[in-house]
Amino acid sequence: MFLLEVKHLDVGFKTKLGTVEAVNDVSFHIDKGEIFGFIGESGSGKSVIGMSLLRLLPRNALVKGSAIFEGTDLLAAGEEEMQRLRGKEIAFIPQNPSDSLNPLMKNGQQISEVFEAKGHGRKEAKDLALKVMKRLLIRDPRLSADRYPHQLSGGMKQRLLTGISLSLQPRLVIADEPTKGLDSITRRSSIEFYQGLEGKKDRSMLLITHDLDLAYEICDRLAVLYAGEIVEMGPAKKLLDDPLHPYTQGLINSLPKNGLVPLEGSSPSLLDLPRGCFFSERCRSCISDCIKSHPKLAQNGGWMKRCILP
Amino acid sequence: MSLMLRYLAKRLAFMGLTVLAVCALTFFLMNIIPGGTAELILKHTILEMEEIPTDEQIAEISSRYNLHDPLYIQFGRWLSSALEGDLGSSYIQKKPVSYLLLLRMPATIMLASAAMSIAIIFGIPLGIYCAMRKNRLTDYILRIVTLLGVSMPGFWLALLLILVLSVNLKLFPVAGYGEARYLVLPAVALSAHALAVTVRMMRTGMLEVMSQPYITYAISKGLSSQNVILRHALRNALLPAITVLGMSFGHMLGGAVVIESIFAWPGVGSLLVDAISARDIPLVQGCVLAIVGVFVTINLLVDLTYTYLDPRIRYT
Amino acid sequence: MIMKFVDMFFSAKRASPISSGQVKWSSYQRIFSNRMVSICLIMLAVIAVIALFAPQIAPYNPNDIDLKSSLQPPSSSHLLGTDHLGRDVLSRLLYGAATSFTISTSVVLLALFMGIALGGAAGYMGGLADEVISRVIDLFLSFPSMIFALAIVGALGSSVFNLILALALVHWASYARLMRGQVLSVKSNDYVSSARVIGASDRRILVKHILPNALAPVIVLAALDMGHVILSAAALSFLGLGIPPSIPEWGSMLNAGKEFMRTAPYLTIFPGMAITMTVVLFSLLGDGFQEVLDPESEVSGLVSS
Repeated sequence: MFLLEVKHLDVGFKTKLGTVEAVNDVSFHIDKGEIFGFIGESGSGKSVIGMSLLRLLPRNALVKGSAIFEGTDLLAAGEEEMQRLRGKEIAFIPQNPSDSLNPLMKNGQQISEVFEAKGHGRKEAKDLALKVMKRLLIRDPRLSADRYPHQLSGGMKQRLLTGISLSLQPRLVIADEPTKGLDSITRRSSIEFYQGLEGKKDRSMLLITHDLDLAYEICDRLAVLYAGEIVEMGPAKKLLDDPLHPYTQGLINSLPKNGLVPLEGSSPSLLDLPRGCFFSERCRSCISDCIKSHPKLAQNGGWMKRCILP
Repeated sequence: MSLMLRYLAKRLAFMGLTVLAVCALTFFLMNIIPGGTAELILKHTILEMEEIPTDEQIAEISSRYNLHDPLYIQFGRWLSSALEGDLGSSYIQKKPVSYLLLLRMPATIMLASAAMSIAIIFGIPLGIYCAMRKNRLTDYILRIVTLLGVSMPGFWLALLLILVLSVNLKLFPVAGYGEARYLVLPAVALSAHALAVTVRMMRTGMLEVMSQPYITYAISKGLSSQNVILRHALRNALLPAITVLGMSFGHMLGGAVVIESIFAWPGVGSLLVDAISARDIPLVQGCVLAIVGVFVTINLLVDLTYTYLDPRIRYT
Repeated sequence: MIMKFVDMFFSAKRASPISSGQVKWSSYQRIFSNRMVSICLIMLAVIAVIALFAPQIAPYNPNDIDLKSSLQPPSSSHLLGTDHLGRDVLSRLLYGAATSFTISTSVVLLALFMGIALGGAAGYMGGLADEVISRVIDLFLSFPSMIFALAIVGALGSSVFNLILALALVHWASYARLMRGQVLSVKSNDYVSSARVIGASDRRILVKHILPNALAPVIVLAALDMGHVILSAAALSFLGLGIPPSIPEWGSMLNAGKEFMRTAPYLTIFPGMAITMTVVLFSLLGDGFQEVLDPESEVSGLVSS
C-alpha cells in the first residue's frame, strides 16, 4: 500500500483567454518513508500539483483525477475532512517565505496556533512552539518567538516555515521550491537541514524544485515535468546521472558545471498545447512521428519515459 | 523608543505649522478688503437696513478694532492673544470667541462621533459581508448603493431624509437640538459618505487580504476557518482601514458644516458659516482654528495608532 | 459560516505571475475598448453637449421671473415644474449643467497643471527643491478641504473665478504628490536606466518612458476629481457662498428649493439627481480608466472591485 497514490491528475485553469492546461494526466505514487521529487522549469505545473493535493487552488481551477492518501481520496473529500488532514497528516512548505508568514503576527504564535488548532491548550502550545524553534537552530529562540517575520532573515524565515509545517509530525510533507531565492550559503545549510530530516521511516516528502542539486542529494525517486506532463520518472541519482528523455538531458546539460549549454526555444503555451509530443519543437532528435501522435509513458523496469526514441 | 519620540516631536511641530498656516491664510484672506470689514460690522450691528454708514462711524469702528494697522501686525496681535487663550470677541455677537466655541463644540463633537460610529459599526461588517458574497446579488446591490452614497451630495440626502421622514412621515423633527431624536437625521445624513467609503474599503481590503499567500499557508496549516478569518484576514484588513477612516473623518468635518446649517444644529460648523457670511473675522478665525485643530489632532492620533499597531514600522 | 469563508478563499484572485507594470502610449488606446469607459464617456459627452447648447435647447430663459406661475408642479408647459420665482426648472437644470461642467473642468485643469508642474519638478529635480515642495504639498494636503475652500470663497466673495481658484487650491496637492511619486519611481526604474545605457537623450526618456507611466494614475485621479469638484462646488453654492445667485447652479437650486419642500418637493429632487448622476458617471469613468491604465494603483477608487 502506497502512502499516496495519484492517478490521472489533471488541472486546468479557466481564464479569460481560455483554459490553461497546467497539469496533464499525471500519475505517480509515494511510498512510506520515501522522498519523491518533481523537477522541471518554472511554469511546468509542479507547484500546482502540490497545491491541488491539499485543495488550495482557487475556484477557477478544474481538478480531475484521484489522489488516494491512506484510503481517502484527497480530491473528492469534503472541506472539513481536508481541514482535519491539513497540518496533521499532510503538511505544506510554501515557496516564498516572506509572503507566507503573516506580517502582523508574532513568529512564535504562528507556530503555536497550529498546536492550538489540534487541541492543545494555549500554554502547552506556547511551550511546544518554543521547542520547535529551538530545534530549528534559530538563534535566541525565545527572543525570536516574540519578534515578527520582517525581523528574520530569508534563511531563518524558510526554516521557520519548515518548522511550522513539520511541527505536528505529518506523514507527508509537500515542499514547494524550498531553496528558491536563497543565496548559495543558505541553500547549502538548507540542504543539510533537509538531509537531517530525511531517513525518518514514517515520514515521506514530495519535493517540488528546479534545484537539481537538491533533488540529487535528497530524493529517492524523481519525476521530470514538462508542460504539465511527466516525461521521465525513475530513481533519482540514476536519472540525473544518465537521463533518457531528451528534455532531461537538455536540463542536465544546461547546468553550469556541465557547460551551461542552453535548451533552445521555450516551453509551449499551456493554452494551446500541440497534439504530438510537447517537447517536439525544441527536441534535437525530433522525427516526424514525434509530431504526429502524443507519446505515452513507457515502462522500463523501475524507469519510465515518454519518448518514442530509444 | 527615542525614535518614536523624535517622530512625535516632528509631527507635533508640523501640526502646529499647519494650524498656523491655515489661520494666517484665513486671516489675510478675510482682510483683503480693509474698508469693507468696518462697513459690514456696522451693517450687522448698529445700522438699520438700507442705511449707509457715515465716514465717522467707519472711522470709529476702524479705530476701535484697529483695522488700519498693517495686516501682519493685526495677525500677530491675534496670534499672541490666541496663545494665551484669548481669541478676541465676535464683532457681531459681542461675546468672547472662545466662549462661543466652547459652547458649541460639544454639539459638533456629538454629531461627528455619532456619524463616525454609524459608519464604523455598520460599515465594517457590511464590507466584510460584501467580500464574502462577492459577485452575488447582495454584493452588486450594495456596490450600487455605496456608489450612490459616495456620489450623492450629503446635503441632498439630508433634504431627502427631511422630506420623507420629517415632512411626510413625521417620524423625526425637521431641525433643532434637544433629545436623541434630534440627532438621528443629521447623524445619518452626515454618516452616509463615510459609511459608503467604509463598506467599499473593507470589501476591497478583505478580498486583497484573502488573496495573500499567508492566508493560503494558514489554511494549509489546518487552521479552522474561523481562526483564519479572525486572526489572519480580519486583523490584516483592519489595519489599513484605520488610515482610511482617519481620512474619512476629515471629509466628515467638512460635511458637518453643511449638515449643521441644514438642521440648525448648534455646532461650530454652522457658527463658521454664519461668521463667514457676516465677515465676523475673529469668529471666523476662531472657528477655523478650532476645526483645523480637531482635524489635525485626530490625524495625528490615527497616525500614531497605525505606527504603533503595525509591527513592521514599530520594530524596524 | 465555514462554507462562506471557504468560498471567499477560493474565489479570491491570487497574484498572477504575469504582471505588466509598464504603460506605453499605446495602452491608452485600450481605454476605448473598455465597455464601462465607453458608456460613461458617451453619456458624459451627451451631457456636455447638452450643457454647451443649453441656450439653444432650453425652453425658457433660466432667469425669467414669472411670479404668476411660481411653484407649479411638472406639466406640459414646464416639464420639470417651476421654482418659487416662476423660473423653469428644466432650463435652470440645463444651464446648471453648463455651470457645473465649466467649473469642474477649469478646476481640474488648473489643479492638474499646478500639480503636474510642481510635483513633477519636485520628483525630477530632487534635493532641496524636492524637500521644500514636498513640505508645501504636505501642508496643503493636511487642510480639511471643505473648510479651506469655505474660508477662501467666504473671504474673497462669491464669484465664479474665486470659486474656481479656491477649489483648485484645495485639489492641486493630490496631483502633485501623485506626480512626484510617479516620477520618482519611474526615474529609478530599470527600463529608464537601460534606455540611458542605449544612449537615449534625457528628453526622449522623459517623453517616451516616464510620461505615459507617470500620467496614468494622474488621469484616473482627474476623472474621479471631476466628480468631487462638482460636489464641493454644489456644497459651497448650497451655503450661498459659491456662485453669485444669478447663475443657475444645481447646488444653489437645492438651497432655494429647500424652503418649499412641503409644497414643491420636485424642486429638491431634480437638481440632486442631476448632481448624483453626473458624479456617478465620473466615478465610473475614473474606475474604468484605472482598470485599463493602472490596475495596481494606490489611488483609492470609489468603485474598484
